[in-house]
Amino acid sequence: MHRSELAKYFKDNLFVASLQAAKKEVAIAELLDTFVREKYIRNRDIVLEMLHQRETLGSTGIGKGVAIPHGRTTAAADVLIAFGKSDQGIDFDAIDGKPVHLFFMVIAPPNEEGNVYLPILGSLVTILNEKANRDKLMKVETFQDFIAIITGE
Amino acid sequence: MIKKDLELLVSLQDIDLMIEEVGDVEKLGFSVTGYTELKKAREELSASISKPLLFRYERLRGKLKRAIVPVKNDICLGCFLRQPTSIGVKGREDEQIFTCENCGRMLYWLD
Ligand SMILES: [Zn+2]
Repeated sequence: MHRSELAKYFKDNLFVASLQAAKKEVAIAELLDTFVREKYIRNRDIVLEMLHQRETLGSTGIGKGVAIPHGRTTAAADVLIAFGKSDQGIDFDAIDGKPVHLFFMVIAPPNEEGNVYLPILGSLVTILNEKANRDKLMKVETFQDFIAIITGE
Repeated sequence: MIKKDLELLVSLQDIDLMIEEVGDVEKLGFSVTGYTELKKAREELSASISKPLLFRYERLRGKLKRAIVPVKNDICLGCFLRQPTSIGVKGREDEQIFTCENCGRMLYWLD
């Protein structure tokens, strides 16, 4: 997926420049609550359960300070991505054991028009594999700057 | 009571969707070491769902891949057709499970 296309799935009200959480479970809940607060998700418990099951399958902490908690749920209608940053870092059982600073939570419905869910995950992984992008994201404070990094402009 | 059953079914389908795409996310570089644990969680959850409902779910899943789908703004997100408003009023109540008149999937109202 092209980076400018990916950028459309982010929203100002799903952007958290400074996460409060210090633990894995709390970080997941904090990001999920951005969706709940904006009424994108009504049944919080069902989606939280799905995200916990996803971590059972394997930590979504992919290493180098990045986690991409994700999943499809029957309790969502649209594909949505929340971003959160933790300056102190959170132990997320990441594959390299390092604390996670950058979080991208991707929620998708069972079916979505255009089948964008897996391409979105792939595109995020590609962008975050680049050290230069991670370094920039570590310093991001505003949604506008964040989108510029995602689009690569 | 029906709503509780429906929510268990939603969680079951969420796990099934995850199982279905394990290979895809693994290819993207995600670690999927807990496949056996996830299957076990699926079995435990399915044991808590009433047998007739589970049977209905499995049968629909075999036929249509997605057995239960969200409804938003009266649109079935399985076949993307509008549902009669009268069904929506009843569908949000706690008395019976409705299916889409067009595609036959069980409906789960999000709003
Ligand atoms: Zn339908």
